[in-house]
Amino acid sequence: MITYLYAVGRDLSEIPDVGSGGVGGGALRLVGEAGLQAIVSDVEREAFEDLDEHREDLAWLATVARAHHGVVEAAGREHAIAPLALATVYLDDDRVRAVLREGHEAFTAVLDRITDRDEWGVKAFMRPSSASGSGSGPERPTSGAAYLRARRTALREGDAAVTEAERVADEIDAALADLAVAARRHAPQDRSLTGRSERMVLNGAYLVDRSAADDLRALVGRLAEDRRLDLELTGPWVPYSFAGGAT
Amino acid sequence: MADDANRIEIDKDAVRRDLMKLVLTIVELLRQLMERQAIRRVESEDLTEQQEEELGTALMHLSDAMDELTEQFGLTPADLNLDLGPLGSLLPRDR
Repeated sequence: MITYLYAVGRDLSEIPDVGSGGVGGGALRLVGEAGLQAIVSDVEREAFEDLDEHREDLAWLATVARAHHGVVEAAGREHAIAPLALATVYLDDDRVRAVLREGHEAFTAVLDRITDRDEWGVKAFMRPSSASGSGSGPERPTSGAAYLRARRTALREGDAAVTEAERVADEIDAALADLAVAARRHAPQDRSLTGRSERMVLNGAYLVDRSAADDLRALVGRLAEDRRLDLELTGPWVPYSFAGGAT
Repeated sequence: MADDANRIEIDKDAVRRDLMKLVLTIVELLRQLMERQAIRRVESEDLTEQQEEELGTALMHLSDAMDELTEQFGLTPADLNLDLGPLGSLLPRDR
């Protein structure tokens, strides 16, 4: 058995209440050291020994991710915690204690940063083009030259629309970042992931004071009003995007 | 045994469809490249009116033929694309 590390906090006294336990159904435990507590559980050593082999095994990854997220989510409801990356394992509890000791400063900095704050996600999608639809719509080009002209306009308009949407996305990101304590832009997700046919132009994560959550909702509402882009607000999340740098 | 024979039959169809999809994807890539090249040449005005008309007509027919073929094999324009991972997709997502 080896020790799987989910998250680190500094005011944890109780084991988070997760019905199904940790990864692989293992019982959750707290390991304390240097004023920090790590949420851990025992996992089979073999399963994590060759992670590269599992990287392709989506079903296995999904099970681990669900269990991991369940623990982090349950603990994060009540306490400020720094979630660790998926599948962070150590040989035994002593190693975890050493990590807490050595990483004390970094963990404390992360916990300071995320205490009383939540992560929110804002995604922006292009709207289905209404302007270009009228141009290239019903009437069929009657000659070769007309066809080329129509295609030229369509390509131009398409490029211009994307450029414009990306500019608006930058504006929205800047406005949200102003309100947030910290902001990060992730790469826009591909259509196969989002399941939407419109192109994603903003995939932002924002660390926001819990007291400012209503302000954020209002701001997103205002930004969505001019309907230039489709906005999608999600959260509050445990601040995964802002917990890096601790390990 | 009968089940096995059926399965091979189904696989054959899937292979044929996938192969057709790949062929059409490559043709579509070439079509789009030719179209962009033609537009560039029109913009730089190194074509006579006659040439412009002929090139445009040819591309228009090619586009129609592609639409027909795609439909015939039960594919959509979105199917005619390859995910190149970190490089993005082979064709632009919006035609």
